[in-house]
Amino acid sequence: MAYEEVKVKKPLSLILLPILSVLTFFVVWELMVQLDVVPKTMLAAPTQVGSLFVTKLSDPNPDGATIFIHAWVSAQEAFIGYLLALGIGLPLGLFMGWFGVVRGIARPLFELIRPIPPIAWIPLTIFWFGIGLGGKVFIIWLGGVVPCVINAFVGVRMTNPTLIQMARTYGASDWQIFKTLCVPSALPMVFGALQIALACCWTNLVGAELLAADQGLGYLITMGRRLALPDLVVLGMVSVGLAGAAIGVLIDYVERRLLAGIRR
Amino acid sequence: MQVAALKPDTKQVKIEVKNLTKRFGDLLVLNRINFHVAQGEFLAIVGPTGCGKTTFLNCLSKLIPTSEGNIFIDGEVADPKRHNISFVFQEPTCLPWRTVRQNVAYGMQIKGFPAAKINERVDFMLDLVGLTETQSLYPNQVSASMVQRITVARAFAVDPDLLLMDEPYGQLDVKLRYYLEDELVKLWQTLKSTVIFVTHNIEEAVYVAERILVLSNKPTNIKAEVNVDLPRPRSLIDPDFVAIRKHVTELIRWW
Repeated sequence: MAYEEVKVKKPLSLILLPILSVLTFFVVWELMVQLDVVPKTMLAAPTQVGSLFVTKLSDPNPDGATIFIHAWVSAQEAFIGYLLALGIGLPLGLFMGWFGVVRGIARPLFELIRPIPPIAWIPLTIFWFGIGLGGKVFIIWLGGVVPCVINAFVGVRMTNPTLIQMARTYGASDWQIFKTLCVPSALPMVFGALQIALACCWTNLVGAELLAADQGLGYLITMGRRLALPDLVVLGMVSVGLAGAAIGVLIDYVERRLLAGIRR
Repeated sequence: MQVAALKPDTKQVKIEVKNLTKRFGDLLVLNRINFHVAQGEFLAIVGPTGCGKTTFLNCLSKLIPTSEGNIFIDGEVADPKRHNISFVFQEPTCLPWRTVRQNVAYGMQIKGFPAAKINERVDFMLDLVGLTETQSLYPNQVSASMVQRITVARAFAVDPDLLLMDEPYGQLDVKLRYYLEDELVKLWQTLKSTVIFVTHNIEEAVYVAERILVLSNKPTNIKAEVNVDLPRPRSLIDPDFVAIRKHVTELIRWW
């Protein structure tokens, strides 16, 4: 009987506290603006942002596009950059983990380029690509490719050495060991990379759009600054946050479905 | 079943170890080891703790290079890419992302056996070790003894020229051990592979082997050779069995 009672009852306070804290945050924010504690030129109240959001659903003024178009442009850029980061970063990391030659060639370069924040590349990318899609995809790709390489690399390095010995005694070639042992061993880390890389891509997207864009959520924030419209700035920030959270939930869902199939 | 003592001089020599020496820097671990194993023989190797059994096996399986001397299979220098060498490790080496069936097939796939032959052979091996019903499960879904049976089946499946076993049952409890030792003897009798079985459990060595090599302390050499000329199935309380077990124990204890 002693082991039967595993019903975990969440105390009411634990359910209420998060709701209360969020509510308090918005109420204080609203009051600070409404009571002129903070000047209206410096911050927009949540209610203003909300009404602007409803307006921006259909009105392209003053920044040239509806919020949906901004979000769509940003999402496109983020996903192209993300997919390219996966397509190049994961194989590179996997090969670097197992093949000494690839590691010898790619590692020093990678370690040199890695510490440079992707945003530092923006001026160069403007020279190279202008302010179109290409430049932003490049910045986003730079941000996403690093965690892909690192995670895939570490995943391969974590392959159980006894398994490699076992394969060696059967006379396995390096390629056979890579294919049948290293890649499957690295999969959990690779799935981790999917999530980390997407977060990196999304963050860099805003950075890229702040400086070089004519559409997108980051551009919306820049326009808000130029036109001195704090509500537009906050709307851009909130949209980025919400979209990022939504993507996180989506990836989490996909990953859980896929890992269920792997059944480790 | 009566199995006559298979002395190397009466049977074809399969494995020949000549002058096997291994040094790690100044440390001499294996000192000029010479012995041979007949075709289809079951040889056990026992020795005191820390006598270099693992190094010895790693040399035999060509996982590490020897300092001097070599191991010959059918008169040729052993090579994992040309010869069928199988190794059953003490720790479980099942691939967690493969089913029981795919695990048994792994060695044959590495060796490039044709798919039809692999299928047929896997069916045969699964039946022999009693894993047919669990063949589509993953290693983390079966018991520890089954996991070791998977690796043993995988090792026998490639029809090895030389099967090396490094205390494969060292981590299992006594009852399962007896059961798996019987199964191992049955596999060996059915498939007629040449087996070198390393263990520190003397009773286990006397139970399964036809011949026992006793190793000395480092630098390791062969201290003695004991023929186990007992009928099978063997009894642990048969006076002859006990006599051999005591003899080997003495050999290990005193030097």
